[in-house]
Amino acid sequence: MPDSMIVLDQLRKAFGDMLAVDRVSMSIPRGEIFGFLGANGAGKTTTMRMLCGLTRPTGGHGSIDGRDIWRDRYAIRPKFGYVAQKFSLYPDLTVIENLRFFGGAYRVPRAGMERRIARLLHDTDLEGKIGARAGSLSGGMKQLLAVACALIHEPLLLFLDEPTSGLDPVHRQQMWDLLYDLSSKGTTIFVTTHYMDEAERCTEVGFLDKGRLLVKNSPQGLKESFTSKLLELEAEPIMPALAALREAPGVLGVSLRSGRARVYAGDAEALLAQWRTAWPFPNITLLGHRWVEPDMEDVFKAYSQGYHQMLRASAPEGLAHV
Amino acid sequence: MFSLMGILSVAYKETLHILRDRRILILVIMLPPLLTLIFGYAFDSSSITNIPMSVEDRDQSDASQAFTKSLAGKESFALQTRSATSGAEAPDLLRERVQGSLIIPRGWGQSLKSGKPSPLDLYVDGSDTTTGEELSGELQQALGDFQLKSRPDIIGNIMDQLPVEVFDMAEKLPPAIRDEFESAMDPWTLKTTVLYNPQQRFIDYVIPGIIGLILQLLTVTLMACTIARERESGTLYQLMVTSLRRTEIVIGKVLPYLGLSILLIAMAVAVAHFHFGTQFQRFGTLSLICFLFLCCSLGLGLLISAFCHTQTQSIQFAVFYLLPVLMLSGAFSPLEQLPPAIQMISQTFPLTHFCHAFRLVNMHNADTGFIAGDLFFMLFGAVVSCAGAAFLLQRIQE
Repeated sequence: MPDSMIVLDQLRKAFGDMLAVDRVSMSIPRGEIFGFLGANGAGKTTTMRMLCGLTRPTGGHGSIDGRDIWRDRYAIRPKFGYVAQKFSLYPDLTVIENLRFFGGAYRVPRAGMERRIARLLHDTDLEGKIGARAGSLSGGMKQLLAVACALIHEPLLLFLDEPTSGLDPVHRQQMWDLLYDLSSKGTTIFVTTHYMDEAERCTEVGFLDKGRLLVKNSPQGLKESFTSKLLELEAEPIMPALAALREAPGVLGVSLRSGRARVYAGDAEALLAQWRTAWPFPNITLLGHRWVEPDMEDVFKAYSQGYHQMLRASAPEGLAHV
Repeated sequence: MFSLMGILSVAYKETLHILRDRRILILVIMLPPLLTLIFGYAFDSSSITNIPMSVEDRDQSDASQAFTKSLAGKESFALQTRSATSGAEAPDLLRERVQGSLIIPRGWGQSLKSGKPSPLDLYVDGSDTTTGEELSGELQQALGDFQLKSRPDIIGNIMDQLPVEVFDMAEKLPPAIRDEFESAMDPWTLKTTVLYNPQQRFIDYVIPGIIGLILQLLTVTLMACTIARERESGTLYQLMVTSLRRTEIVIGKVLPYLGLSILLIAMAVAVAHFHFGTQFQRFGTLSLICFLFLCCSLGLGLLISAFCHTQTQSIQFAVFYLLPVLMLSGAFSPLEQLPPAIQMISQTFPLTHFCHAFRLVNMHNADTGFIAGDLFFMLFGAVVSCAGAAFLLQRIQE
């Protein structure tokens, strides 16, 4: 049994001239919660569809549990569950009918199916909704039902394409509790998301930008890849301050955090020293400063904007071959 | 390769879809008996009745009055008399709200006796091509009947006035010549025996057309929506990541519609049999014809479905296909009326073969040998369309 659940080697997908996924290589160990991050159109969904055998790769290889993702796609299907971004269950069927249908579609033996369904309904808190039409459920419940349907055949691996987009905080929490629970039982989870706080909850995170994998590491590892802490300035008035700082020499970028300006720069200490001797913005008052630990949002910004000066030498491409 | 469980799961789900959409379901179930009733009554008798027609008697002779009276007794016409005018030549059919107008010219009664019978003037509305023709045919017939009825009077009249010598001379004619003369005087007639549909009932002829219409209308359009609907809602991808194979999806989707269609055929047949008294023979062969036609129609629907991206497209395609089929397949009118080139197009429609085979078996009691070509064509169509649908599904995937 290979140690990695998923292995990608130079995986590529081109639609005509458009390169959706560009030579992505990585491996994802068993039992991991892998968070796949990237802007809309970065190629996350296409990568996931290739993994599911729904789209044929135009280059490179990939394998799930040691089997090729395209050549052995029929053999792989029973191994994973897939929750699409768009709600894709049958709205005119009830909760239990949807579950039973997917049970049949995955060839779950009759004997075990009802027990399995009862368990899933319990885990997703949908016991009271058994007879309700799937279309009548709230957005959160629909999503939980979709996960339950994808788990009906007890897969080794679960793909989720932005499972929490549009969900309220309560259902988001419930969804993540469910994923943690699955992970603790050994299921590998591959999830795409927009939310940086969700990325924080993953055991490993990969950043995809314009089809290319920029970096893949644990959230902690990613935060530690910054060469120093980040400088945060308190200034007044704050909006003009942001605009002015963005243009200042030596500054790579600025973002607004809790009313303060977080400054991204190759050498922030030197910059601060320089500003303390001569503050270059006459219309803005500098009230104070502090040093903060980078969070996932900073990681995403630094990697997606290419602020290499503030990151450790480890080249993203090198990391990608882990 | 494929499992029964997979097929049954899809079939069960598809059945639920059908049952949940109450409005469509009611429409679907109402249509077969309703259509059968409509066609049964609308084309009850094949002959024309109550065509509005006017008569203008400018002659006012005994003969013209007797002929007008004989016309009034016929149920083919709804007769209205117009007082004699000598003015405008052509009558105003539009204003009179009639489809034909007969004018008996002055001196007609006299002309019948003068050795030069003058013709009656008939004006018909040609916009409706069949009615005009039928009207003049009916009048021709009525005129012939009238002549036949008047003959004894005329002959009797002639006899009374002939001098005795003529009879003496006639006695001297050889019997052969006399017989020939009598033959020439008697009208020659046709004795028609109708085979295969002795009561000449339109419903018996048209029942395969109705069944075909229902099946084409409902099954093709309903079926055409099934895959397109899954594609629109995104469930198609969800289906494709399961262990289901394409064959299982295709067969599973066809099965419930097959069941529904058999129910619909049974309803149309029941109404035709119990209400109109249509007889059905060789039930096994008829069932085989229906079954093959069904498979062919469902396969076509599936093919459209796999080809189209949305349900709207599917319905458009289905209608686009159905229109020429309904007009050119010979379902409601004889195929032989069409020009040969169009008939060749007709031969490519499953409905044409279905109606042909159904009529041969049910009305002519033909055995399977007569319809082997039709059966083969429908089987071929079913296999090709289902395989095509499965192939298109694979293309979606890649």
